[in-house]
Amino acid sequence: MGAAQVRASDQKGSEDAMDNSLLVSLSQQLASYRAMDVIANNIANAATPGFKRETAKFEEYVMRLQPGEGQRGLQSVSFVKDAGILRDTSQGTLEKTGAPFDIAIAGNGYFAVQTPAGMRYTRDGHFSLDAAGQIVTSDGHIVQGDGGAITITPDDGDIQIAPDGTVSGKTGQLARLRVVEFANDRALMKEGANLYATDQAANTVAAPTLRQGMLESSRMIEVMRAYEATATLSKSHEDLKRQAIEKLGRMPA
Amino acid sequence: MRALSIASTGMLAQQTNVEVIANNLANMNTTGFKMSRAEFQDLLYQNIQSPGAQTSDTGTYAASGIQIGAGVRTAAIYRVTTQGDLKSTSNPYDVAIQGAGFFRIQQADGTDAYTRAGNFGLSPEGQLVTQDGLLVQPGIAIPQNTLSVQINAQGQVMATVAGNATPQTVGQLELTRFPNEAGLNAIGGNLLLETPSSGAPQAGVPGSVGYGTIQQGFLETANVNSVDEITALITAQRAYEMNSKVVSAADQMLQNTARLGS
Repeated sequence: MGAAQVRASDQKGSEDAMDNSLLVSLSQQLASYRAMDVIANNIANAATPGFKRETAKFEEYVMRLQPGEGQRGLQSVSFVKDAGILRDTSQGTLEKTGAPFDIAIAGNGYFAVQTPAGMRYTRDGHFSLDAAGQIVTSDGHIVQGDGGAITITPDDGDIQIAPDGTVSGKTGQLARLRVVEFANDRALMKEGANLYATDQAANTVAAPTLRQGMLESSRMIEVMRAYEATATLSKSHEDLKRQAIEKLGRMPA
Repeated sequence: MRALSIASTGMLAQQTNVEVIANNLANMNTTGFKMSRAEFQDLLYQNIQSPGAQTSDTGTYAASGIQIGAGVRTAAIYRVTTQGDLKSTSNPYDVAIQGAGFFRIQQADGTDAYTRAGNFGLSPEGQLVTQDGLLVQPGIAIPQNTLSVQINAQGQVMATVAGNATPQTVGQLELTRFPNEAGLNAIGGNLLLETPSSGAPQAGVPGSVGYGTIQQGFLETANVNSVDEITALITAQRAYEMNSKVVSAADQMLQNTARLGS
């Protein structure tokens, strides 16, 4: 395993097979750390309405090595590398809150919200009214209807929001909530505060299904199961690693 | 290793959640109390690879980016302003609001506060006051020698005085509503204050369009549903537990790393 046995030394990390195994396990560890960060964020957001669970995806990065003495053909070493973080955009369960301006989207779509930084999109349907009677998010950004902001006066009485997004009060129909969808959901960029940003064109959903008085939960149960599965996996992995380290450590140098 | 700090934001958030639930449960029997809910938002994301990044110069794009979240934060603790049940008390000065609106109360410093708790009483001068002795606005004085008091759905206060069979109108209860009730600032003592986010108060007569009606001899109970609260408590407790497990798992990972060299 000496350095002299490996001819090609122009590739970084290829001089020594021992170094490679260290570097491979280092890449794996960095990947585990990242996976852990993603899981931690999922769990921390277990009570965030409209939050979508994410999974870190990794890919193999294969590095070709020149054969050493007594070896035939090209040898290869596989490292772990981040490929992406996939958002599980499946529907979360709807939980009843009873608040009149809590609106959940059943099925595809996002609410359009006007922020100082431009149009943003969210599935967190916890809205309320601001001092001017406009429907706003909890940060005070204006929720968009088909004609921009939706203003409600106290004379409208109890507000009814129909499944298709029609907002009506005592005086009749007021506006319709704008629900949009995108060609590629997963390319939406998370901005925090439950908002997504994108350059993609927003297409209005013709017939959305909204539920008044409900919020979409973050699929707590599934997250919990995913967590338990991962925890078991990392436990067994940890045991394996500990054994390997113990055994390798005992070997004379 | 961000998992430690991410999980700690989760623990903090769930702690807030439990505190809100505890306060709801503690106020289950508080007249006119409106339950609160904690609302959470995800924190900023660190972009390692932006979604929509090109992966080659031939126009292929990454299917998804690499964005790592920083955890969660409490976005708001909002009041759910649904109607509470009305409970009969038979006390003539107990009035409940059925529908929208608040009673206007004059605080000791002369400023206005608002409440839905209609468990009023009389001051030594015969004025209609709250349990803390604060005057109900506009002021209503009940004459001496009053045998009985009737308050109708429109908030008219009528007193039958000894020696006169016809009840006399002695005052009119008013209701105040706000464009955004959830934006009122709760100061304890069942009182709420106007804020820039609540909008300006609009006074009106009970029973007119957009205002609730008055029920004499009833009190509005808290709109806390114990089953919902306990379910929320269990969920919050589980979530807290999971976050603390993430902390210990992250700690173990770091320990293992530290042990690698030795």
